[in-house]
Amino acid sequence: MVVEVRSLCKNYGSVRAVDGISFDVKDNEIFCMVGPNGAGKTTTIECIEGLRKPDSGEIRVLGLEPYREKEKLYQLIGVQLQETSYQDSIKVWEICQLFSSFYKNPLSYEELLKKFELYEKKNSYVSKLSGGQRQKLSIILALIPNPEIVFLDELTTGLDPQARRSMWTFIKGLREEGRTIFLTTHYMEEAEYLSDRVAIMYHGHIVALDTPKNLIEKSEIEEKIIFEADVQNTEDLKSVNGVSNVQINKGTITVYGRGKDLLTNVVNHLQSKGINYRNLQTKTPNLEDVFLKLTGYKYEEDKSEITI
Amino acid sequence: MKSLFELTKVEFKLTLRNFPVAFFSLVFPVLMVLMFGGIYGNKPDPFFGGHGTVDIMVPSLVGAIIAVTGLMNLPLTIAGYRERKILKRFMATPISPYYVIVSQVTVNFATTLIGLLLLAIVGKLVFDLHYLAQGPAFILAFLLSIFSIFSFGFLIASVAPNAHAATAIANLVYFPMLFLTGATIPLEVMPKIMVKISKILPLTYAVDLLKNTWLGNKVSYLQDVLVLAVILIVSLVISLFTFKWEYE
Repeated sequence: MVVEVRSLCKNYGSVRAVDGISFDVKDNEIFCMVGPNGAGKTTTIECIEGLRKPDSGEIRVLGLEPYREKEKLYQLIGVQLQETSYQDSIKVWEICQLFSSFYKNPLSYEELLKKFELYEKKNSYVSKLSGGQRQKLSIILALIPNPEIVFLDELTTGLDPQARRSMWTFIKGLREEGRTIFLTTHYMEEAEYLSDRVAIMYHGHIVALDTPKNLIEKSEIEEKIIFEADVQNTEDLKSVNGVSNVQINKGTITVYGRGKDLLTNVVNHLQSKGINYRNLQTKTPNLEDVFLKLTGYKYEEDKSEITI
Repeated sequence: MKSLFELTKVEFKLTLRNFPVAFFSLVFPVLMVLMFGGIYGNKPDPFFGGHGTVDIMVPSLVGAIIAVTGLMNLPLTIAGYRERKILKRFMATPISPYYVIVSQVTVNFATTLIGLLLLAIVGKLVFDLHYLAQGPAFILAFLLSIFSIFSFGFLIASVAPNAHAATAIANLVYFPMLFLTGATIPLEVMPKIMVKISKILPLTYAVDLLKNTWLGNKVSYLQDVLVLAVILIVSLVISLFTFKWEYE
């Protein structure tokens, strides 16, 4: 285990931001904390990074106690903070060189700039970079110490979909280099796509922690098969293996059920009965459905940007 | 130590790229000397106790430079770095966050010193400036003035609840001090009421001390030294208890 957290609590005044959470992060995995804004993700990650002092509980990062052994810790981990900006009129190479001077065995920032396709921006002012380029720079600064663990807090927030996709590729690449990645996000599809394991946070608690696949399976949320056909009798369809319920609405039929052969079974049934179906689509449950089921919290409504 | 050196080097570059700071600490004072020296010359003038206009202006303008670096650039940079989480980012590295403070003090000290040297060189070449200080008196006055006014500036960064407030306070403090302390306009030309107001502005004592030591005037420096020392100590003590690395 590279990160161990036991009964971590952190209050801000009377608000309990993190309420006794415990979890481990394994070596060389992409571990993701997901949850709406204000769930306690940033507070948790900043306690683990040694930037905040926990009110109670224990944290070990690579065997170190973060808040007390900062100097040692920061030689071993790389940190990207939520919404950092950089000095006015500093240039890309200047901030890279500055950060290199902080570490005992820094990686070559020139190589990192090349790898992240930022080398041609070397002499640009940081303030002139696009949002995506600035986030790439913040990863580069986090990688300069050649860290064993990289902490990325809301890395892709505010990026356009294309920039976010390219960021995902880089993050997966970091794991291939043997690093552990600890990230927070409030994008469910990001957590589902990237992570080896996901901790779902809500109101300062971890409500579930597992691989995205297991979380979805264990949630027992049903798959939906939707198509158009002239069917009057649903009893036949209900008897198909795996199907639990069927609804008809003006010629649109929705079949609910579970099991990996569900779609095949339903299609075979329709064909054997000679029923013509059109516009067939399936809706498999995703992490967002799991989150909704676990918390009863409608995710799309949450578009506000609050930092805790 | 290498990281402190690198940090200071970068921050010095950034200060020189900051146009208002570079202009008002390095260029503007020289322009003032060229302008007033051009009008009045540097002949002994009974109005200034037998000293030339430029001889009076140069040490006074050093006070104006200290106001730019110590009352504007120092607090605004620190408050800005805190608000924009630049300080926090440095805290997530192996360097001590105190390096950021040390580098800022060093950079502003160096900028002030360069401003003084530029004034002295231009003054000497163009107007035959006289340096009449007794022994190290002016150097000591320069150091005390810098540390006292810088501490007062740091106090602004400590007590301001955010960068916006720091800017407001710094401006409120800076502009009266620039015009009412003798730094740019000699107190000798001011009405009595203005001279009275100048007595409550800390920079007045720095300007007076810088001027008297530079000119080698045989007067008591005690009051100036005491006031500056008290400002230094009180500002540091309050800062010690109020300074925050991060806005909550």
